[in-house]
Order: sequence, then structure tokens, then C-alpha cells
Amino acid sequence: MKELRHRFSSGFFIFLSLALLIFGRSNSVLINEMRTGVTDFFVPVLDVASRPFAAMNDFAKWTQELAIVFSENERLRQENKQLKQAQIKASQLAIDNQRLKKLLNIGEARVTTIAAARVVSDSDSPFFKSVLINRGTRDGVKKGLAIINEDGIIGRTITVGDTSARVLLATDINSRIPVKLAASGINMVLEGDNSPYPKLSFLPLGEKLSVGDLILTSGYGMVFPHDLPVGQVVEKGPDGFRIKLSAKLYNLNYVSIVGYEITRGPATLKAEKSSKDSN
Amino acid sequence: MVGMEVKTERGIRGALPFLSVLLLILLMQLQYRLFFLDNLFPYLSLAAVYYWSIFKPRLLPVSVLFILGLLQDILSGGPLGMTALLFILVRIFVIRQGSRFLEREFLFNWLFFIFVALLFGFLTWLIASMYLKEIQFFWNAFGQSMLTIAAFPVISWGLNAIRSLLVAENW
Repeated sequence: MKELRHRFSSGFFIFLSLALLIFGRSNSVLINEMRTGVTDFFVPVLDVASRPFAAMNDFAKWTQELAIVFSENERLRQENKQLKQAQIKASQLAIDNQRLKKLLNIGEARVTTIAAARVVSDSDSPFFKSVLINRGTRDGVKKGLAIINEDGIIGRTITVGDTSARVLLATDINSRIPVKLAASGINMVLEGDNSPYPKLSFLPLGEKLSVGDLILTSGYGMVFPHDLPVGQVVEKGPDGFRIKLSAKLYNLNYVSIVGYEITRGPATLKAEKSSKDSN
Repeated sequence: MVGMEVKTERGIRGALPFLSVLLLILLMQLQYRLFFLDNLFPYLSLAAVYYWSIFKPRLLPVSVLFILGLLQDILSGGPLGMTALLFILVRIFVIRQGSRFLEREFLFNWLFFIFVALLFGFLTWLIASMYLKEIQFFWNAFGQSMLTIAAFPVISWGLNAIRSLLVAENW
């Protein structure tokens, strides 16, 4: 009798696991709530547990920086001189740019930093690339927002709980990010394939890329603001060009959650209104 | 009153296998900030599930394994039900070998674990490929299994210490 009960119990839970595997991928409200409820509960625990690793990493970084502080200071002085000259040029170009945008009535992009968050957990899996952050709907986080840090893009939010959110990394197989070549502005798509070096797809025929070319976000798709650093081309494999991301996805601490929208100029809005009226 | 205290103590000790697997699941979720470990991290929880399925299966029943597997799937962002299913299969597979088969010396357990970990890695790769509808890179799963095999002695040593508490209470 005991053996029969044990077999029934095993069979029942195997069946339940299989059912979850098959139907769990549908975005049902119940399953999403279960996922976010569990992550909301465990994120504070993971937040505390991850702090010693972050502290150790900060300490290691600090000692490395200390060792090169004099040479770094000299390098920064030189860089500062160059940047001051570049700043003067950039401000002149910004004025020109603003004037031309007004003439062409191009919409202004508005980027808002919604919150800063800590990465508390990493899937550490070769097949599913995501991290958990300690900000959720209570902090204004929504599904489909861009996650970036000081180095470049990281990914976008896919499930959001009250106090936590899951971020799909740019290297995940389900990640597609519209990007462009910094030098020429050619648009492409950055396609994750679970490898550390995502590939570039939809490269126009005849276009040539070379190792070291800089890749930026294009702003299409309305998730990532335009001109954010993505990475550099590192190799041309049999399936296309691969890039090394600017952000180190294996070493994330604080990240920014940003919103992105285009505000239209008054002339565009007027034109849109008149076309609606005529319809 | 004294009897109640003993019962509570036993209750907490009885939860040690569950807590040890839970702890390892949480450890697996942390970011270790190393390029190599970001892609391949040992299935620490598998080693604990295997260990307790040999020595104290009664304290880690199928229902508990299902919950622990589900928790791992949720926290790691993987397909819901994958780890739960694999944990249950590991338990069934170990128990099917007979109650005394694996209760031998450590080296024998480790050798048998090599087989279990490789099978677990293969099934993970198979399910992930089916779930993502694209053949995944197999050697990643193989590498993860090898790391798990390498980590087994350390985990086994830690769990031995926990088991000694249970043996003292004759669980």
C-alpha cells in the first residue's frame, strides 16, 4: 500500500512538472504572479547574501586602482586637455544640431532615469541569461524598460514584481536589440544566442565591417535610447560578425532603469491632427 | 514540556536536508563576478539531492523536491518545471538501485554520481533545446556536469557533518 502511494505521488508530481513545462511558457497571469511573488520574497535574502561578493570585488578593484594611481593621474590630465577642446567643438555642434532639428521638425527623444537598482542574482546558466534586480512596480519599473550601466547596455525588463524585476540580458537567445554602426549609421539587429559574444544580423548586402568597429543603439524599437554604447566588433565567424559588449555582464553591481520616448514637434502634431480630421 | 522541546528539536533537525538544498539553490543564484562562472556554474543542488536520496530519502520526499526544483526554476529564470522534474527523476533513479546499494564508501558514490551528473546535464541540454526550439551548445551542459562532479566531494563533506546530527538522533 505504501509502495503504491509512493508511486502515485511520484507519478503525480512528474505529471505536474511536465504540465508546467508545457503550459508554463504561456504568459498566464497566475504563473506570472507566482514567479514574481517568489522572486519578491527571495530578493531581499539574495540582496544581503550578494553583498560580501560585491564588497570583495570593490576591494580588489580598489587595490588595482591604487597600484596605478600615479600613471593613471598623468593619463587623465592629458585626457582632460583633449576633452576640454572636444567640449568646445561639441557645444557648437549641439547648437547646430538643435537648429537643424527645428527646421526639419524632428521629434525630440526624452530619456528618463526611472530608478537605480542593484543586481542581486544571476541565472549562471548557459541556456538562460537573466539577472534579478531589487526594484519593481513600487519604484515605477514596468515590463520592457531598458537597463544600462556606465559602460553600456545590459538588457530589458521582462517580468516585474512589486519589489523585484527580471532582466533579460543582451546575450540571451531571446534578445533582439536594434543597433547601428557608429561610423556610418547603418542599422542592424544585435541578436543574442546565449554565447558571451552576440552576433549582428540584418547587415545590408555589400556592407563591410571590421574588427574594432564601434556599435551603438539605434533607438528603433523604443526600448533603448539612441547612441548608447553597445560594444565593438571582435570577429567574423561563419554565421556573421560577433561583438564584445561594452558592459561586463558577468560583473554587474548598480544599474539604471531608463524610460525612452519621442516627443513630437508642434508641426508634426498639427499635421497628424489634420490627417485624422480629413479621415 | 520537555517532550515538546525534544519534538521541536527533531522537527528542526528533520528539516536540515531541505534547508541544505535550499541554501545551495540560493548560492547558485549569486553573482560571483567571474567570466568563467557566469556561463558555467556547478549544479550544487543536484549534488545535495543525490546525497539525501541515498542516505535520508524519507526527509526529502517527492513533494519537497518538486517545491525545491520549482523554486530553482523561478529564481534562475529557467523553464518552469524543468529542475523539479529532473530532481524527482534523480530521486527515483537512486532509490531504484536499492536501499543499501549506494550506502557504501565515498569513492563508489562519487563514481556513481559521475553518471548521474552527466545524465542530468544531458537532460538539461535536451529540455533547454526543446524549450527554446533551437539546438543549444551541448558542451556547456557537459562542462557544468564536470564542475558539479568536481564540487561533489566538498558538498558531500559538508552534508556528512549535517547527517551526523541526524544519525545521532537516529533519523
